[in-house]
Amino acid sequence: MMLRSVVKAVLLAEAFAVATFALGWWSVPIVAVLYAAASKRRYPARFAGLCAAGGWGALLLLDFAKGPVANMGTRLGGVMGVPPAVLFVLTLLFPALLAWCAATFVPQLRANRATAENPA
Amino acid sequence: MRRVFPGVLLAILLYAGFSSIGPLPPIGPLLDPANGVWASAAAVNFPARQLAKIPGLKDSVLVLIDDRGVPHVFASNDDDAWRALGFVVARDRLFQMEAQTRAASGRLTEWAGERALETDRESRALGLAWGAEKKAAAYDRSSPAWLAMQAYADGVNAWITSMRPRDLPLEYRLLNARPIKWEPVHSFLFLARMTLTLGLNDAATKRLNAQSHVGKAAADALFPVNSPIQEPIQPNGQAAARFDFGVLPAPGPPDSQAVLARDARRDLLVALRPPEKSEPSDAVGSNNWAVAPSRSSTRNAILAGDPHLDLTLPSVWYEMHIVVPGKLDAAGVGFPGMPGVVIGFNRDVAWTFTNTGSDVNDFYAEKVDHDSRPTRYQVDGQWRNLEKRVETYRGPGGAVLATDTLYFTHRGPMRKLLGKWLSMRWTAYEPSREPDNFLALSRTKSVNEWLYAMRDYVAPTQNGLVADRSGNIAIRSSGSYPIRPGDGRGDVIRDGSRSSNDWAGFLPVEKFPFSMNPAQGFLASANQQPVDPRQNPAYMGSSWYSPWRAMRINALLRSDSSVTPDDMRMYQTDPGSARADLFVPLFLDAARRRDSLGKGEPRLREAAALLREWDRKYVRDNRRAVLFEAAMRELNVRTWDELVDSTAIGARGITALMPETQMLLWLSRSASSTWWDNRHTREVEDRDAILASSLVAGLDSVLASNGKPDSDEWLWSNRRKANIRHLLRIPALGAFGVSLQGGPGTMNPSSGEGTQGASWRMVVELGPEIRAWSIYPGGQSGAPASTRYTDRLSQWSAGQLDPVLFPRTPSELDRRRIISTLVLKSR
Repeated sequence: MMLRSVVKAVLLAEAFAVATFALGWWSVPIVAVLYAAASKRRYPARFAGLCAAGGWGALLLLDFAKGPVANMGTRLGGVMGVPPAVLFVLTLLFPALLAWCAATFVPQLRANRATAENPA
Repeated sequence: MRRVFPGVLLAILLYAGFSSIGPLPPIGPLLDPANGVWASAAAVNFPARQLAKIPGLKDSVLVLIDDRGVPHVFASNDDDAWRALGFVVARDRLFQMEAQTRAASGRLTEWAGERALETDRESRALGLAWGAEKKAAAYDRSSPAWLAMQAYADGVNAWITSMRPRDLPLEYRLLNARPIKWEPVHSFLFLARMTLTLGLNDAATKRLNAQSHVGKAAADALFPVNSPIQEPIQPNGQAAARFDFGVLPAPGPPDSQAVLARDARRDLLVALRPPEKSEPSDAVGSNNWAVAPSRSSTRNAILAGDPHLDLTLPSVWYEMHIVVPGKLDAAGVGFPGMPGVVIGFNRDVAWTFTNTGSDVNDFYAEKVDHDSRPTRYQVDGQWRNLEKRVETYRGPGGAVLATDTLYFTHRGPMRKLLGKWLSMRWTAYEPSREPDNFLALSRTKSVNEWLYAMRDYVAPTQNGLVADRSGNIAIRSSGSYPIRPGDGRGDVIRDGSRSSNDWAGFLPVEKFPFSMNPAQGFLASANQQPVDPRQNPAYMGSSWYSPWRAMRINALLRSDSSVTPDDMRMYQTDPGSARADLFVPLFLDAARRRDSLGKGEPRLREAAALLREWDRKYVRDNRRAVLFEAAMRELNVRTWDELVDSTAIGARGITALMPETQMLLWLSRSASSTWWDNRHTREVEDRDAILASSLVAGLDSVLASNGKPDSDEWLWSNRRKANIRHLLRIPALGAFGVSLQGGPGTMNPSSGEGTQGASWRMVVELGPEIRAWSIYPGGQSGAPASTRYTDRLSQWSAGQLDPVLFPRTPSELDRRRIISTLVLKSR
């Protein structure tokens, strides 16, 4: 059961990463909605949020391995007047929140539809 | 509420992701780790091997990037070489290239909005874009430089087209902008910008300003046409500087007539570009020098280049090496945005430049047909149509921010100031072929060929120094020097309604300041007056820089008949100062005389004792240069109190209109000149009183700001530093507080702000095999995250040079020194 969850998490994170790579950052909420629609989990939004952060985190690690990402963090942090760490945290928080918000809609939509079909 | 919250948050996140909020760029594409800034950082390191395509290449091109980030371009033909160069320069410096041309064309508002409007208005009013477009349109389409610029543009555009999202430079992301297509006219715009930096000066404004305070005779003397200390570029046969000190006329009554003219000129200049700080030019300037084989330790000619400019990140220069077998093999630096080596060397010749600073722009009062909306202007009783140009300034979204109507006469741009329509003629607007001049230099094989290639060079006027492998050295101040009617001077506003006031032509090249293989065995220039007026009295400009650096380098070269390349390197940051050598004794002698007359005070004795401890060298760990500089500042302010200009705000609340420091030295020959008297005090001061009070005041100010004389706060290294700003003036992208050796008037001068300095240092020994060393502040990459963005800074700060790799063929380049191999093909 545990292993299955881990595999699912890795696959979903990978989906977020591939979609971001291929389409751009805005694909994150789309993947989250698709996942939530297909998922039977009770709380798919949390899982989607974590996996989106994981997917972007993996991409960030790849960037770190290839070039001076820390330098960029220092420079950009200086430009924006924030410590570099804030930018890295934001880089993980941003997709997590995007995915969580988007995935939250699907169960709500389901619940609304169920209520409409069974008003009693 | 719980149901609504995710929706609201999603809307906010999507908005922030897609749109700029205040100064923040859209955070979605910024933080995206696959295509945003992090991926961009990952992409700044070049892969070990890379294949790229540039449409139009006739053959494949090999580009080897060495461990200094320098591309060695090996192409089979010129066209391919320039295409490849455009590609690699754009890969490293794309944002800089566009920023510089936008600054010249007045299109910064499209990036920065209203904030840049005034800057853009100045650029357009100056006619930089008008002139560049005119030149580009008239340029010979079959000339080598045009073909090179076209090929270069193709290379730049090939890079832009092939860029992945992650390759977009950080600055574009911050501005939420995309690169524009590159065109040859952009190269002309860059040249126009450089000509503005180096070739637009207006000594007359200073002179008129002084005249309004102290009358014409005194003003003419304080801002003279000829330098009172003669150490010219063209050797005059003297073994030392000649001091042409006559009697300095006493300050006269203010000249009310000059006030209007001064204000008109000042407003014009202020309208054209930001006002310069009114301080002596001891803190800025370029140097170059060369020794003939007779004075070289290796019996080969050696040349040193040391141009000083505004220090920026990325650097104004880009280092390169271009090889087209049998046709071209040159290395050195060029400007990002222009094909070719501007300062550098090939297998036979090395060359470099300093700015001549001659007067090449004039103003004309025009008679127009309508005071507020002119359509014509009058010349010799005939009406001529004005060229009208409506300039539109757009914001980042394309919205129109403002429009201006600009007028042009046959002389140049015309503006209305203080009720007068003034037009300006400037050699930068004249037909010219500078791109061909610069490009041809790389192909020359001797000093004579090099001089020939520069024969019709126009602007900005440059002291071109050249040496060849046969042991020849030469220098010539090249450029267009206008021939004016009447007394020939260009520092008056002329009547534009008479064509007889127009320029009558330009000095022939035979009349340029020039020397080749002089008996003294060396040549040098440091922005001083190029030719001794006793040898050539023709007007070329005025208010020349004090020749302190020229005196110092000439003294060093005269004293050493066996100069090594490493000596040349050390001269570039030599801490000695002719200025200090001349002024320190003045302070000390004044203190001694005051003491012997019983007018000494303990404070003066203390200050003199401290100053006496100084060896007059601006090295980092000395603790007395700071006192001397404070005393010099006080001396300038106290001496020139007659010239106080309350309209110019400076560090002390008001700024004196300061003549060059050499004028102080002139004045020092007269102990009781009325110039010494401070009008704001009851007593009548003489020279010694002012020198003594300046020294004491200097000590007081340093004690107040730096503490006790032995404290580290007195260290010169704590007072003078280089501050290198990013082109966007974003502090986090700059490099600040870089320590320096040198001070005002030394070979490595630095201003208090530290924003100017040595932009490129080069030493070339022209032996059987060329040996060269170089450095510049910054690095080859324009990407702030790259380690190659500032990797040369510590070497530059220490006055060190890197050996330059100069392989004839790819196989001659040590494999261990290659960090990346780029193969370019057409498909």
